[in-house]
Amino acid sequence: MNIKGKVVRVFPGDTNTDEIISGKYKYDELDLNKLAKHTFESVDSHFYEDCHDLKNPILIAGANFGCGSSREQAPQVLKACGISCIIAESFARIFYRNGFNIGLPLVECEDISKDVTQGEWLEVDFDAGMIRSEHRNKEYRFKPIPQFMQELLERGGLMPYLDACGGYTD
Amino acid sequence: MKTISEKILSKRSGVDAESGDIVAVPVDLVFAHDGTLPLAIQQLGGQKVKDPKKVVAFCDHASPSPSEKVSNVQALMRQFARHHGMDFYENGDGICHQIVLERHASPYKVIVGGDSHTCTHGALGAFATGMGSTDVAAIMAYGKTWLKVPETVSVEVSGKMPEYVHSKDVFLELLSQITADGATYKALEFCGEGVEAMSVESRATLSNMSIEAGAKVGVCAADEKVKAYLTRYGRSNEFKALYPDEGAVYTKKVRIRAETVVPMIAKPHKVDSVVPVTELEGEELDQVCIGSCTNGRIEDLRVAARILNGHRSKVRLVVFPASRGVLLEALKEGILETFLKAGAAVGPPGCGFCIGRTVALGDNEVALSTQNRNFKGRMGNDSSFIYLSSPSTAAASAIEGRITDPRNPKE
Ligand code: SF4
Repeated sequence: MNIKGKVVRVFPGDTNTDEIISGKYKYDELDLNKLAKHTFESVDSHFYEDCHDLKNPILIAGANFGCGSSREQAPQVLKACGISCIIAESFARIFYRNGFNIGLPLVECEDISKDVTQGEWLEVDFDAGMIRSEHRNKEYRFKPIPQFMQELLERGGLMPYLDACGGYTD
Repeated sequence: MKTISEKILSKRSGVDAESGDIVAVPVDLVFAHDGTLPLAIQQLGGQKVKDPKKVVAFCDHASPSPSEKVSNVQALMRQFARHHGMDFYENGDGICHQIVLERHASPYKVIVGGDSHTCTHGALGAFATGMGSTDVAAIMAYGKTWLKVPETVSVEVSGKMPEYVHSKDVFLELLSQITADGATYKALEFCGEGVEAMSVESRATLSNMSIEAGAKVGVCAADEKVKAYLTRYGRSNEFKALYPDEGAVYTKKVRIRAETVVPMIAKPHKVDSVVPVTELEGEELDQVCIGSCTNGRIEDLRVAARILNGHRSKVRLVVFPASRGVLLEALKEGILETFLKAGAAVGPPGCGFCIGRTVALGDNEVALSTQNRNFKGRMGNDSSFIYLSSPSTAAASAIEGRITDPRNPKE
């Protein structure tokens, strides 16, 4: 699997799910495309429009991205904004699981948020575990994603994956 | 030689599991609430629920419903629960975690909740963890989930806690040491004579807050106290003793000497920005909140009422008991009367103020709450400030209208 896209934002460490999508919306809006308009609203009011202007926008972040509440609306709205991939120094546990479950690729890569800047083109090669920046002619390595989780992504998430396999095999 | 988490996951998966292994386990209880179930229903997409007896739904987060949109979402949940024949807890029954403690959790159970504070149930010796709505949907459909067996950090609380110091203070002290991502992907296992002496309710506060250090679960041994707790709720038959093996392997050991812990407070907007209450004494408050799945149990209300007795709060005081059972006990013990005479607005059992759905803060207002999170905007207003403390500190501060050390209560 390969993704080529432009960096839409670089967020700091400990970005929490309350910041991604405020709790005040999640109880009354079930349409994720509508909910997506409020993504990062309290900290970054142009996020939604900026994503929509790009093809395959990539989000970069520091450590512990997606901490706090388990709300799956957080990765869902980012996917609905068109985000093709999130590359962070590390992810909070529930967010990481949720991302793969809904078919949103997440990559853990050390020091990435220190170098990469907004507007840069990146190419992510999932099989090789490699991120390339054309601008700066630089490469970053990451630990390849386990086979099982790549399959989740290819199937579009956990539910389609389990439906295809008929549940858990063991 | 296994930790508590390794023992539960080995037993339930049927394989000899060690930390790092990935296992598929049957889930004994899966639950979700008005913030997470609607999305799980969408993800389920009309598939059959495998075993509705193991699925429970709650209306607790925006409860009683504050708007027509929320009411419509709750109606969808109600219909879903009725259609599949699963347990459904209504507006006013209480917070999912408190009800699961009282009625569903027990040692060796694997529990998954569509809520990050599902780790609360580690206090009864369960492997309980929060997941997102798709995982909840997959468990509803297939009855199983996959889990990575976590490494364990042992947290030993030695010695005896001083008066007016509670398990909340112990956890805040721990957070100040290990930070908000100090246990990411790991299990916290609480032990030591300080934990043995604690009631199950106090242990539940430790387990509840484990996620604030990033942990997957926060477990305690299932001992005589757990047996007594289950017996109190008519579930003594669900008790099984559970202790870690002698010689179990821990990635890290942290020791907290209970007798040296003082009342602690977390400053806005980070849970690990923790200092002793004495450092902030005198800071003006607009609202004091007592309740939540962290500190809304009967012993928390008792502690607060003892301090508030005969006084009147100088600031807005809101109290939300964690469950209908807790509210009934408070009524019987005269605690409710103490709160009402102290000027409190007592709300129906549920999450109430914790996420600002039914009680929101105004611009730039400052709240002191017994809840577990103080993120920016958590209580419904991006410009407000939230401090976190124990019920004793909250009650003493309400009387003064300012942050106050509970160790010198007014007579
Ligand atoms: S009381 Fe607060 S932390 Fe607990 S379940 Fe409710 S909203 Fe979540």
